[in-house]
Amino acid sequence: MTTQAPGARTRRPGAYRPPAPLGGRGSLRHSPRHRLTVIAFLTPAIVILTVFVAWPMISALRLSFTDASGFGREKFVGLDNYVRVFTDGDIVRAMGNTAVYAVLFTPVAIALALAFALLLNNPLLPLRGVFRTALFTPFIVSLAVAAFAWSYLLDPQVGLLNHWLRAVGIQLGNVLQDPNLAMPAVVLVAVWKSFGFYMVIFLAGLQDIPTSLYEAARVDGASALQRFWSITLPMLSNTLGFVVIVALIAALQAFDQIYVMTGGGPYGSTQTIVMEIYQSGFRKLDLGFASALSYVLLLITLVLSLAQFLFFSRREKDAA
Amino acid sequence: MIKRTAAVLATVGATALVLAGCSGSSAPADAGPVPITFWHGYTEADGKVLDQIVADFNASQDTYVITTETKTWAVIDDTLLPSLSSKQGPDIVAMPAERLPVYADKGAFADLSDFYGSSDSNTADLVSQAKDMVTVNGTPYGVPTGFVPLAMFYNKALFAAAGITAAPTTWDEWVADAKKLTVDENGDGTPEQYGVAIPDHATVANGLWPSLFLSGGGNIVDGGTTAVIDSPENAATLKYWTDAITQDKISPTGLDGIAADKLFSSGKAAMHVGGPWMASIATDNNIDYGIAAIPAGPAEQAASAIGVSMGVTAQADDAKKAGAEAFFSYFFQKDVATKWSLGSGWPPLRTDIPLSDVSSNPVVASLSEIASTGRALLPGVVNSVDVLTDVDELTQKAVSGGDVTALLTTAQDKIQQAIG
Amino acid sequence: MTALASAPAATASPRPPRRRSPQARRRTLVSIALLVIVGIATLALMLPILIIVFTAFKPIAEVNAYPPTLLPGQWTLDNFTRIFTDLPFARLILNSFIFAGGVTAFALVFDSLAAYALARLDFRGSRVLLIAIIASLMIPFQATLIPIYQLVSDLGWVNSYAGLIAPRAADAFGIFFLRQFFLSLPRDLDNAARIDGASEFRIFRSIVLPNAVPALLTLGIFTFVNNWNDLLWPLVFTTQSEMGTVTSGLTLLTGPGGIIPQGVMMAGSLIALLPLAILFLLIQRRFVESVGTSGLK
Repeated sequence: MTTQAPGARTRRPGAYRPPAPLGGRGSLRHSPRHRLTVIAFLTPAIVILTVFVAWPMISALRLSFTDASGFGREKFVGLDNYVRVFTDGDIVRAMGNTAVYAVLFTPVAIALALAFALLLNNPLLPLRGVFRTALFTPFIVSLAVAAFAWSYLLDPQVGLLNHWLRAVGIQLGNVLQDPNLAMPAVVLVAVWKSFGFYMVIFLAGLQDIPTSLYEAARVDGASALQRFWSITLPMLSNTLGFVVIVALIAALQAFDQIYVMTGGGPYGSTQTIVMEIYQSGFRKLDLGFASALSYVLLLITLVLSLAQFLFFSRREKDAA
Repeated sequence: MIKRTAAVLATVGATALVLAGCSGSSAPADAGPVPITFWHGYTEADGKVLDQIVADFNASQDTYVITTETKTWAVIDDTLLPSLSSKQGPDIVAMPAERLPVYADKGAFADLSDFYGSSDSNTADLVSQAKDMVTVNGTPYGVPTGFVPLAMFYNKALFAAAGITAAPTTWDEWVADAKKLTVDENGDGTPEQYGVAIPDHATVANGLWPSLFLSGGGNIVDGGTTAVIDSPENAATLKYWTDAITQDKISPTGLDGIAADKLFSSGKAAMHVGGPWMASIATDNNIDYGIAAIPAGPAEQAASAIGVSMGVTAQADDAKKAGAEAFFSYFFQKDVATKWSLGSGWPPLRTDIPLSDVSSNPVVASLSEIASTGRALLPGVVNSVDVLTDVDELTQKAVSGGDVTALLTTAQDKIQQAIG
Repeated sequence: MTALASAPAATASPRPPRRRSPQARRRTLVSIALLVIVGIATLALMLPILIIVFTAFKPIAEVNAYPPTLLPGQWTLDNFTRIFTDLPFARLILNSFIFAGGVTAFALVFDSLAAYALARLDFRGSRVLLIAIIASLMIPFQATLIPIYQLVSDLGWVNSYAGLIAPRAADAFGIFFLRQFFLSLPRDLDNAARIDGASEFRIFRSIVLPNAVPALLTLGIFTFVNNWNDLLWPLVFTTQSEMGTVTSGLTLLTGPGGIIPQGVMMAGSLIALLPLAILFLLIQRRFVESVGTSGLK
């Protein structure tokens, strides 16, 4: 089945219109065929997302205004849950911890991933396939298992890391029970686990940079650092913007390794917002409050991500 | 193009329908015995004993048929809520005793007052502290499935090497023995061997410090509604033990229950307050262990108990509830209770079962001997999650050198807030 | 960071082979330097993985022994045999494949279709739709788990593959990810095709998709791994143990007191890890080599 030539429907006698750009401004945009095309492409995903994502989100929003526990006995409580989010000391502390976590995790994970992607993209490095696979392995290990391996490494009594460092005179102490070291430790585990995936995304993005650009720059006498700043980074800005948002969302939702390694301690120093949500909803059976806290988290994440997105799409326009 | 997309969608839809048919469950027959589902977390050999008891119950009558589903306790806790909310949950569920009040408070469990009141329920001789753990605001919402006090496990070989012939029976003896058993051969300030493994947070069954507080004459929460943690007795207890740990170094600091288990099983600690499973773990690690009661404090000899309770969920209709209660009565018959005790490795739930009946399992026999030291943990407290977190913070900070008086005041406020 | 400053970031155009030229020698030196740096970094990062591997072969007594060792003093296969005797492992692996594979297959198809619409087809509300999709990523799943469960239960899909797969057959992350990738592909070729009268679906299938292979592979691996390792989801949506997955099945090894027999757990995790590692090893070359077959470069 073929579509008519673009512009055919708008040809008026005596007037020549150049073919409309891809589905853009121009009559094509409103053609029934175009609309049908759009619907056809979107339908499967939209159906699934509406039923299994949008609807539960709306349910959760409704729950956030009640004192529901999940067993049917619920009472409307208005904004009480939301007020509690901002007045409960433990929740405020969790927000602070989550902010610290995000600030520590996001730049480190991205920098590490980008560094390795650049290194692994270099044709002068032998065994690239081996390294790619090895560096990706932390990502494919399940988080519970990874958390165990790290806890075992850091165990003050039988931990290998403690044992080796003690041999050279460094006393690590009980890392996971030290209020100052516990947060960096759980961030480290998350970085270790995630950077492989971001690295692969960057690798895919690096493939799309035409080598001719580098050639031209080299001929012009640009140094490697200049090539990085003026070619690699701008061409990667789409990818970079995406990774930043994704890493940020992951950081703000930190839960699994904290649950396994520190349980939110010591003294709540690694308690994050999602830990609170989990405990409220599943331990204390206060689903209404858990939902309210989730929506506050959503709003915070949305605001932060929109800011990132705008920043990077502006750069994308510059690069194009 | 549209046709092709439609074809894709149709195939997908058809596949989905086919997959929907491939489910693992099968609908039970309408006529015939009432089907009852039972979730429990006994994953080891004890689970097989329980499943056998259920099978025996099914065989003994033809009105009800109970099917068991084994998941870990943590998984039950995570999945009970979603499944009950859609009536896909179990009719009977067992869970760690301190979790039951939370669910009961939200209406997840059925009121069992009538069951306890009936004469053929076999509940008259149950351990009373165990019954306390299933009672919220005066109403019983479940029955005990297991109740065992924490016990002191000690390493006989290390004892012999230090010339100690009998396990300590009082706090002073305990600390004195621990000092003898703490060995720092190379004098670097870190002992290679500790006298005792005392965790300062997330203790075994959250029970170590409650045991110490009770033995010292204090308590955490009174009657489920009033915080009493800030008391001179508790202050004295905290001071006594933090001094022993920090000054005499009888135990490492910063341990949690699991790390303490590991310390004992690796032979690095001579004494450890643990649960019944330490017996098999010690054996697996080739440790010649002994079991004794937690030594007595100035006020009494109390050991916080590890409990498992089971109840009938709100999902069960009247017929299923009757079936569940019939099973409970069967479960508490003397012969079944004895069988369960021997199979689970925990003391019998009935006080009128003589020690001689359980002598075939030496661990059970030892634990049954000290059963009278058992005390319920935070009975009737709904928000035990926050209370235990606050107690953890109190003990952990105290052991790392905090000011006991100030910490107790803070804990008092927080705990009172938590129980509302 | 000297490696970054001195090495080109992309493939240089091929030069005619020379012998022993200063350029060749410098390249060898750079290669060796890179190898050493990346090698050491990788080894350090692999340490926890090595622990997992070696602990799987340690007998119980050695796991918590002091002083701790990396390598087992006594290699044993007991942990592995226990996995296969205590669990219906074959069935669990099958379930894992069906679950993770099913979700990945559907998600790749549905997500790429939707991403194409958002990236290439202009329509009213596309911006709003995009923001809504991205926003849905920002709510933690703990908040929507119970409403989703009630939905699945109302559909009668608890304990079925449909219940496990359908809610994830399309996902916001995949749509977002692919949309960004499609945006970065130059439009010259599909514009040309459009002028020639090709349908959007034709352009999607023959032009955009082949150029998107690295992204599709990346998303595929990501989706497969995440669903393979997902613990809570199968636990919640299947109440019967024979419908469980490998990760949920491994939790059944937890002993009383919540003590996890670590050697066994590591052995089980290794076995669960293997298919993923093999999968990635097989396709990781395609990430970088597929570009050569495209018509754009």
